[in-house]
Amino acid sequence: MPETTTAAATEKRVVLDLDRCIECKSCMAACYYGHGRATGINFVDIGPAVLPIVCRQCGDPACVDVCPAKAMKLDPLNVVARGVFSCRGCGSCVRACPFGVLSLEMVGHQVAKCDLCEDRLARGLEPRCVAVCPTGALRYATAAEIEADGLVALGGRIAGDHPIQRR
Amino acid sequence: MCSEPSSRSGDAAARCLLCNVGCPVRLARGGPDRWVPDYVPHAGYAGLCGRGSVLAELLDHADRILAPARPSDGADGAPDLQAACEEAAAALGAGKAAAIVVDGNADLDTIEAARRLAAARGARWSVFVPPADAGLVHGLDSSGCAFAGPEDLASADAILIVGNAYATHPVAAHWIFESRKGRRRAPLLVIADASGVTADFATAVFQPRAGVGGAARAVAAIRTGDAGALGPEGRALAGWKALLAGGKSPAIVVGAELGYADALALGREVAALAKELKARVCPLTTYGNAWGAVRLAAAGGAVPVADVLADGPEVLLVIGTDLATALGSRAVAPALQKVRRLIWAGPMPSRLSRRASLVLPTAFTFEAAGRALLGPGREIRFDALLRPPAGVPTALEVLTRLGAGPASLGSAVAGQGAKADASRPASVSAAAAGGADDDYTPEGLLVAPAGDAIDFADGSLTRPASWPRSVRPRPLLTVAEADAEAAHLVDAGRAVVEGPGGSVEVAVATSSAQRPGQARLSAAFAEARDAFGWTLDGPLPGDPVRMRVRKA
Repeated sequence: MPETTTAAATEKRVVLDLDRCIECKSCMAACYYGHGRATGINFVDIGPAVLPIVCRQCGDPACVDVCPAKAMKLDPLNVVARGVFSCRGCGSCVRACPFGVLSLEMVGHQVAKCDLCEDRLARGLEPRCVAVCPTGALRYATAAEIEADGLVALGGRIAGDHPIQRR
Repeated sequence: MCSEPSSRSGDAAARCLLCNVGCPVRLARGGPDRWVPDYVPHAGYAGLCGRGSVLAELLDHADRILAPARPSDGADGAPDLQAACEEAAAALGAGKAAAIVVDGNADLDTIEAARRLAAARGARWSVFVPPADAGLVHGLDSSGCAFAGPEDLASADAILIVGNAYATHPVAAHWIFESRKGRRRAPLLVIADASGVTADFATAVFQPRAGVGGAARAVAAIRTGDAGALGPEGRALAGWKALLAGGKSPAIVVGAELGYADALALGREVAALAKELKARVCPLTTYGNAWGAVRLAAAGGAVPVADVLADGPEVLLVIGTDLATALGSRAVAPALQKVRRLIWAGPMPSRLSRRASLVLPTAFTFEAAGRALLGPGREIRFDALLRPPAGVPTALEVLTRLGAGPASLGSAVAGQGAKADASRPASVSAAAAGGADDDYTPEGLLVAPAGDAIDFADGSLTRPASWPRSVRPRPLLTVAEADAEAAHLVDAGRAVVEGPGGSVEVAVATSSAQRPGQARLSAAFAEARDAFGWTLDGPLPGDPVRMRVRKA
């Protein structure tokens, strides 16, 4: 892989614009079929170790506050529950959790280890998920490019008009 | 077994026909015996939706039919292809009542060959198209309104979407999003379930009541300004006509989601509104070749599939379509009991093929060059995505072996290369527009079938693939939070839906936006479609049905 291509690629990341996502999962399918039909994007082993991941069931859960899809809820039993079908996999909860008990592997629609489709980068193409996204919700860009469009980059991976609220 | 690349695959002239967006598609080597989707620029978009991506797995699927078989007999020693075709031809020509049903998503020339075969054998013939697609085509075609393809939506400055288009046709969303660049204040009006993703992006939403004709009544209310039939909630539609008329280039995007009568009524109302607004209509169909299939059926004297099944021919040849899944078991069971000889030809095993006395292998439509009509004025030629496995003929080759003569200029429908047949508008059948008012009762929810971005409409082409199964292993029921609470259901929990045709275990998604009393159930699962209990004399395939829901 040419060095210049590699250097440029490492500055860019796949960024999700929540205001554009229509939940079509074209990105998921593209990743799945583009990576040897690996089941990693939804159901991911976290490695050779099995670690207990215990939610603290916070009384004032930050993950519920930041969820743009209202997928995280504090139910009447004071259990913080995640609606898997509402979850967009944005990872806001992962970053908001002060105890780090959430991982991207628990949040659906994400691949365990994204390689930015190195095979496509080598050909000067964008990662598959970005290419197939019909609405431009997924972009392959630098943080500066995102902010130049007037969007807020949250955690370097999510963009939108507001870090917490959706439209 | 490994499919071989078409000699033209590098030119990317193949098309996905799993909806009428018709994305160009190309495959690339992903390993010694595996293909991965590659992406072809298409009017500013270069990709495939989740359904189209499945093609890469489907073409090399381990279960595909490669040789003749006798599933229902369980007999060993199925004949070779030549002998099997001779046997099938003899069965069709034996003087018994025979009928031929061809899948509407076959290419135009294959459908025409089915007509010729039926004529040669004195058999009735029919083209299967999802009832909603057929209704929409009948309602819009020959209406005189102007049409547009999804790519043309980028220039629209006022859009009305009927149906959950972003879910059922995600690639079409690309050009709708393009239209909104620089036009953020332009109206994007949606008539669809408020719990669907399309509604999330609307500037205004109207959620029709479930039941036949709900969306059509809403469109009529926009046009006439009289929303009395919709009750107080119809006031939400006030001003929509003015909003659409305020655009210089308005467009109406319409996808039919229920049954034939609902779609027919909807198509008629959309056409009437479009002509008043001078708006272009972009129809979205499940079958990529729905428009071509319906027109050819009309021009070629095809009878409705329901008529074929009602008569129960002694010999039935079905090409490429799984009627048992598409229409539901209750709809086809009576007919199949009368059929003495069921011959099925297609690429993948299905519920119908497993009941056949003789199965003939064919290639997928995508494995041969052909023509399709994606919509009015949108005829395409496509090349083969891959060559079929060695020894597997195309459906057209099978029909020719069975006795379909060559295309002739004198036939009612001209052969390959002629556009006139495919451009002639289909006549409107006499099915009355439905409109049974929905009466909500405490007993059961009114459940309607739902399309989604993951699965082909009846799942027949996507359910065998591994990705859709992993994403959604069981049908999804979207239900209002109030209804879920009443039935002790929780989001992401499981439930059992009991309908006239049986019961099915489902996954539950609750939504505060879903209208209480009505729900949506994934249409891509055979067992879910069976639960609806559709029949040919009502409730008709695609119609919403009242069902009980309980916690699993």
